[in-house]
Order: sequence, then C-alpha cells, then structure tokens
Amino acid sequence: MSGLEAIAGAAPDKPGGPGAAGSAGMSLAGEAVSFSYEEARAPVPALCDVSFELRAGGSLALMGASGSGKSTLLQVVRGLDAPESGAVLLDGADPSDPRYTALQREVGLVFQAPERQLFASTARDDVAFGPRRLGWPDEQVTSAVATALDLVGLPPARFAERHPYALSGGEQRRLALAGVLAMRPRLLLLDEPFVSLDPGTRRQLVGILERLKAAGVTLLLATHDVDLAWALCDEILVLGEGRVAAAGPWDFSTAGGRLLAANRLREPFFVELWRRLGRDTHRAPRTAAQAAQALR
Amino acid sequence: MSPSPDETPPLFDISGLHYRYAGAQADALADLDLKVHEGEFVAVVGANGSGKSTLARLLGGLEKPAAARHALACGHDLLVEDGRMAARRDVGVLFQNPENQLVAQCVEDDVAFGLENLAWPAADIGRRVDEMLARFGLEDLRRREPHMLSGGQKQRTALAGVIAVPRRVLVLDEPTAMLDPVGRDEVLRAVREMRDEGLAIVYITQEMDEAAGADRVVALERGTQAYAGDAGGLFADAALVRRLGLGLPAAGELALALAEQGRGLRDLPLTMDELLVALGYAT
Repeated sequence: MSGLEAIAGAAPDKPGGPGAAGSAGMSLAGEAVSFSYEEARAPVPALCDVSFELRAGGSLALMGASGSGKSTLLQVVRGLDAPESGAVLLDGADPSDPRYTALQREVGLVFQAPERQLFASTARDDVAFGPRRLGWPDEQVTSAVATALDLVGLPPARFAERHPYALSGGEQRRLALAGVLAMRPRLLLLDEPFVSLDPGTRRQLVGILERLKAAGVTLLLATHDVDLAWALCDEILVLGEGRVAAAGPWDFSTAGGRLLAANRLREPFFVELWRRLGRDTHRAPRTAAQAAQALR
Repeated sequence: MSPSPDETPPLFDISGLHYRYAGAQADALADLDLKVHEGEFVAVVGANGSGKSTLARLLGGLEKPAAARHALACGHDLLVEDGRMAARRDVGVLFQNPENQLVAQCVEDDVAFGLENLAWPAADIGRRVDEMLARFGLEDLRRREPHMLSGGQKQRTALAGVIAVPRRVLVLDEPTAMLDPVGRDEVLRAVREMRDEGLAIVYITQEMDEAAGADRVVALERGTQAYAGDAGGLFADAALVRRLGLGLPAAGELALALAEQGRGLRDLPLTMDELLVALGYAT
C-alpha cells in the first residue's frame, strides 16, 4: 500500500515538490468552455459552452460518439489547449489564480495509445522524464519512479532496465501510465485507456484505476466502453457534437436510454440484464461478481 | 449462397508459417497454420504481443515469411516476392493504427485512393466513394482533413478506403477499437454482409463478444496457435481463456461468477439472450 499512499500524496512536501497539495484528489469544473480547431478551410468548432462538475475524489465517464469532443476536452482540461471562452476550474481556482500553474502540474493526462510516445532507452528513464522535468530532487525522482512502476504491475527489479520497445503492447501501455502517475497527479485524465488491450491487461488496468480511486485520485475517463465506464465511474458526462448532452448521475430511465442511443451509446450489459429481468435498473450491478451475488 | 467451404480452395492457405523480427530472440510467429475459405469470418484473438498484427502483415504480403511449408493468399505464393506483390493488390488490410493508412488531404480523397490506383473511371469512383461515405456515416466529413479527425472518424475513414476496393479477402486488425458502440455494430454488420457476399475475412479483435459472433476463432499464444475452432469451444475452457490473457463475453463472465457462487448454469451463455434462457427467463 505504500505506493498508493505516496501517489495519493499522503506526506505533504515542500511547496512545489511532489505531493505538495496534500492527500485529497482535485476537484474540476468546466464553465462554458468553448474551443475550435483551425483547419485550412474554416475553423471547426469542437467544444461549445461545455459546463460540468467533478468533485474531488470522484470519477466521471466522458462519453459520446466518435468526434464528439472528448479528447479535445481532456486536452483543454490539461491546459494543452486554451479555451476560446469559458474556463476550467481546478480546486475551484480559475486561470487568474496565482496557484493555477501549480495546480495544472497536478493534472495527469494519459493520451490515446500513449505507448507511441515512449522514447527513452530504459523503462526507468521513460518514467523519470516527467518528474525530472518538474525539477524534483534525484532521490524523489527515484522513489516516484519505483512507486509508479510497482503500481502498474511492472516491478522495478524486473522492468526498470528493460528497453520500452522490448515490452509487450500491454506492458508498454502500463509503462506509459506509470510515466504520468510518477508525477503524482491528483486529477487523472485518461483518453480511451482500454483500446487495443487484451482482456487480461484490461482487468489489470481496471484494478489499477480502482486502487487510484480508493486512494482519492479524481478520475475523468474518456471511453467508448460503456461496461467499463459503468464499472468504474460514479457519474457520466455525455458530449454530442461538442455540447453537453447529459451530465450527472447515470440515468437508465426511458429518457436516459433515448439519450444514450441518440449519442451512439448503449446501456451497460448488466443494466440491460436488470431491465430485462424486470429489476430496478438503478440498482443494477456494476460487475459480474456483483451480478452473480444478486442472482445466486 | 456461396459453395460450402470444402468445395473450393481456401483463399488463405497457410501451413507451418514462421516469422522473426530482425534482432529478436524468438519467433513472432511459429509453425502457424491457417485456412480461410470464401464466405468465412474468422476471428483471431490473443494477448498483446501474441503475433496477431504480425500475422496481418504477412497475410497482406507486407512481410517475407522466414519459412513455411506453404503460404498462399488468393492463390499467390507469399514465399516469393512476386506473390507478395500480387497479395498486396488482392488482400485488403486494415492496419491497427489508422494513421498509418491515411494519406490524402481530405476524407473523400482518402476513400478514393485505392480506386484511383486501379485507374477506375472518375464517375465510378465518385459513386463508390459516395456509397462508402454513406455506409460509414462520413458524408458530413468528406472535405475534412484526415489528420484533424477523431480516432473513431479516422478508423472509419481507413476502413471505408479498404472496403471501397472490391476484393475477395480482407484482413481487419481491430477495426472497431476506436468506435462508439453503434459504430461497432455497424462495422460488424458490414463484415457479416461481406462474408455473406462470399468474402473471406480475417478479423483481429480484443472484443470477446465480437469473436463470439465469428464463424471460427483462432487464438494465438506467443506466435503459435493455441486454439482453433468455434467460439463456444474456446470460451468453455476457462483455464485456457485465462492463460491466453483473454476473457469471456459479459454473459459468460456472469455465468462463471455464478458457478463460483454455487449456481452453475447448464450451458455457457455468450449473449444476453442465451443468458436469459440459461437463467430460466423466456426471451
């Protein structure tokens, strides 16, 4: 458990250092965020007046059809793209707040297919890149790297000196995640983290995210996988053509079902099962084990 | 109806195939056999690194086998350069990363690219491209720059470009990975339609419910064939499924969890409807 405690920032450190902000996850809010991409012909609007809230330590599934703006929203939250209008609030602070830059450094973004960005010649150096760039002292870098590798199931004794390209695809994905976790994010943004992983590696990743949640890290998870979104996330934010189509608790009423369908989504498997069994869908199980318990 | 598989020579006929990447210490594929007939939809599953994408490249004539007893794709010998060149023309391959496949300045030009290389008349290309854009919901994106699209839009554009060219065989490497649930259903429906039209389809996937819907499943383990047969036979062997790093469709996972809690179901369900029947509810 020591790795988790470290990642949750249980031991506050000197200002600007790892874990500086204490143990809690970070809260997030979007206030009427708008953003467009510049293309040769004309700007293409990607986000329009997007407002939502995610409490500290909460978990939010970011869903919607292909091209609805999910990846763009993650990039804007991370600060890689500045909104044209509106604002992203981190722990209630807006960009004019003097703490804002420091808060942004505590937001971790795991890109789509992040293994394509592995570049160092050892797993250790790849994971150390972020903490070094933040200017952390060597011994803190070393411990953060070891903790992150342990957490993603790549124990340093076996993996630290391996070449990233010599790892399997699933191991590379977890290594890339370790590179983000080493910077001890209090808010973790994940862009389709399950894509192309085999089911066994998916189960491992679900376990890792559950442990991060238990440690208080706030999760914003963009995914097309409604079953994993339902298993992991308390609430849902549905984007449709760059606008908020729904935000808040999961809604499996008739209207909620229509809204999912209109955004090219479907009910989670166990919710559909509960509906077809005539049971209360809002008490539907999130995992096979929970479903079996109820049906035993 | 297409003739039954036994009456015609297979469109992929691979036996004892080996491949090793330069500098690697082990074979990426070892002693692999694969036969796919026209009108067959064969799913290939396996853990990350088990050799699935390598197999796709070999079937498409993009890599030279290290050795094989025989390796034929559409009758072309993959062991010789001329045969691989011919296979590159006749085997449609959708790569796992659509960005490796998108070459043009806008979506419709990308979808037209293969047809232009075949020197189709412009009017025919126009009709075919319109048909593909409609099939994959890309009409509104036709003038957009491919590199600016979302992951799912790129994947649909690449798939439309591969399918636009009429062929007898397709190798699709995780074609639905980036798609929303409705997009997945659309692609699976298109794959089944093409199978019914007589195409041979090799379909690499990490989605166990997609594999469950294929005619046959081949499971790879470190480059060798660990299972070949129907999906039910694979999923019924829970120990093998776990060893291969795979899983069961959600219905099957629930059945396993129920068995662990003392309520075994007589048949292993792989779909919602099968699950409801197994639980004693009429559907």
